[in-house]
Amino acid sequence: MKRILMTTVAALAMGFAASAHAQTKIELQRFFGACDADYGKVTDVSSAVGECGIITSLINKFRADNPDITVNVTTVEWPGYDQLNAQLASGAAPDVVSMHYSAISDYQSRGLLEPVDKLLGTQGVSPASFTDAARAGVMKEGQMYGLPFDNWTMLFHVNMNLMKKAGLVNADGTPVLPTSADELIAQGKQFKEKTGKPYLIQILANETASYTRVLYTFLQQQKSDFFANPKQIKLKTPEAKAAVELMKRTVSEKISTVGLDYAASVSAFANGDGGIAVNGTWLIGDYVAQSKKEGTALANGYSVYPIPQLFKAQDSTYADGHSWVMPKKNRTPEQVQAIGKLFKFLADNDFQWARTGHLPAVKAVFDKPEFKALPQRDNIAKIAQTGRSLPAEVQRQFAIQSIIGEEVGAAVNGDKPVDDALASAESRINELLGDL
Amino acid sequence: MAESYRRSQWSHGLFILPYLCFFLVLLVFPLFWGMWLSLHKADLFGPGRFVGLTNYTRVLADPVFLQALRNTIIFVAVSVPALVVIGLFLALALNRTTRATSFFRGLFFSSSVLSVTIVTLIWRFVFIPGDGLLAVLFKQVGLTPISFLSTSGWSLFSVGAATVWWCIGLPMMLFLAALQQVPQDLYEAAALDNASGWRVLTRITLPSIARTIVLVTIIQIVLQFQLFGQAQLMTNGGPSGTSRPLVMYIYEVGFVRWDIGRGAAASQILFLIILVAAMAQYIVSSRKTEA
Repeated sequence: MKRILMTTVAALAMGFAASAHAQTKIELQRFFGACDADYGKVTDVSSAVGECGIITSLINKFRADNPDITVNVTTVEWPGYDQLNAQLASGAAPDVVSMHYSAISDYQSRGLLEPVDKLLGTQGVSPASFTDAARAGVMKEGQMYGLPFDNWTMLFHVNMNLMKKAGLVNADGTPVLPTSADELIAQGKQFKEKTGKPYLIQILANETASYTRVLYTFLQQQKSDFFANPKQIKLKTPEAKAAVELMKRTVSEKISTVGLDYAASVSAFANGDGGIAVNGTWLIGDYVAQSKKEGTALANGYSVYPIPQLFKAQDSTYADGHSWVMPKKNRTPEQVQAIGKLFKFLADNDFQWARTGHLPAVKAVFDKPEFKALPQRDNIAKIAQTGRSLPAEVQRQFAIQSIIGEEVGAAVNGDKPVDDALASAESRINELLGDL
Repeated sequence: MAESYRRSQWSHGLFILPYLCFFLVLLVFPLFWGMWLSLHKADLFGPGRFVGLTNYTRVLADPVFLQALRNTIIFVAVSVPALVVIGLFLALALNRTTRATSFFRGLFFSSSVLSVTIVTLIWRFVFIPGDGLLAVLFKQVGLTPISFLSTSGWSLFSVGAATVWWCIGLPMMLFLAALQQVPQDLYEAAALDNASGWRVLTRITLPSIARTIVLVTIIQIVLQFQLFGQAQLMTNGGPSGTSRPLVMYIYEVGFVRWDIGRGAAASQILFLIILVAAMAQYIVSSRKTEA
């Protein structure tokens, strides 16, 4: 009896030990959407399409390769920072969180993030292996505060089938894109006349990010140093006025869709309801996949380019990026090691992530034949040189984005004079930054 | 009563102790903590510094707050009467015991059990340009579709329509319950006097359920001042802040700007407004009833 009892206790102890070993658990919180119905069990990453499909299958693959690590994934609505704030405030932060480069300053300056240099070092991931733009996105006060994952920007997604109909295709098969503000309007009118459809599909409702990114791009193209002082924005300038007036003309000249929110604008382009969608790098993978399907509006007729240089001073596009950060919290050494393994896995598979359309954060991916063979990448390669973000010291970039989007949106849709909107945006942002 | 009072002991009060604990921890403490926070410059992640009434003066001087306040008052002023009148109309129409009325009671109440996410999703399908229900109907009759969710004026109207549809169940049920308490002999006497339908409504029905009308109005004032989810999900407060309610302002200041002290100050102002509005309605109605 005693022997049975001892054997049972020993077996239970071993079982607990084994399960404890198997249960190095890390909590990962991310945006990029939920698609478990399609990709919940997929571990073949190469078969996945789109941000959600690829990140879901990447995590599945990591789980399969590391059975001793449990990765619990929480998917949050984009961008998920309100939820993260509440978690940080209540001491219940996840172990790993997806974060935009533009948001890192807020959390790092408040001491809420762990530097990851050492962790990456233990896994043999060198800071030098990342592109300059990606490394700069996560580098604060000489330390890396996240694993850079990509760089992204807004693009011109082009429906070539409609562009042909509009007579806006060059002899070499590339689309005729504008090189100035006036050309944009003229080509838009030509497109509308020939196809009966709007030239631009823009996100003009229920969203602020798109307005802001386009404004930043046009300001950069005019070399406007609107954040010369990171604590003070300057928007009551001729450059800002020219940028917003151009955005407004796309609506008043009726060459753009109006009233579409993000989801509606994505499907409007997929349905062939307009010529050029002004949207992000993350849609390239999905639209390329659609263009390979016969019978769709984009069948054999999809192309993508950076937002053209419409102002003379310089070619530039506002760019940001995604990273993986570690909120400050108590972790076991096993958990830290598991996160290190996950970071190395994600860095090693940056090519798979780059299939979404984002620019890779890992330099070596650019030289991979598989990357070079991806469709449309030649067209957007120059973003590596022309992509620019806001100065890293600018805090509350998401709050600033909301204010700019709201005010510029009011001007573009005719609810406010352009000068009033810019003055209001400037004073609201400076009041915000002056009160940090 | 004297006997029960004589037999009562202080220890009987222990029966309410569990409730009292939750009440103090979950309601009273946060209320006073919020007041304390509103006097500090603080974010979510640590203690702040005392700034006195600065947060209040800044909130009251903020044009975005004033715009949100105006939007919320307009919203309450339109949606509450709509909820009371439509709720009363439905209750009067369904105050019969037939299978059809039972079915319709359930049908009209069913929207109340849905979450705000589902409600806004449904109404997005109605209002969205292009493929939305109203856009299709407008095109069918040869009219130019309106961008309901992104046009000043229409955006707040759209949020209001979704809200009335969502919240109509409770007023209807409260009115139905009140109507069933009205003594039938009053109606029989009115019938003997050959009173018209309008006279019966204004002289018997409405006076008999006056207290319920006050109750429904106060409940709806309190609820509609707290508008948030519908505006956040349908219009994001836009365009140009024309459909941003006060609670969304509080949320943006507290969670997006990380200025939790100022958010708390705005919350206290909202609390005061709701208290005053509900009390004013109660006092006015009580005076009328007494007169």
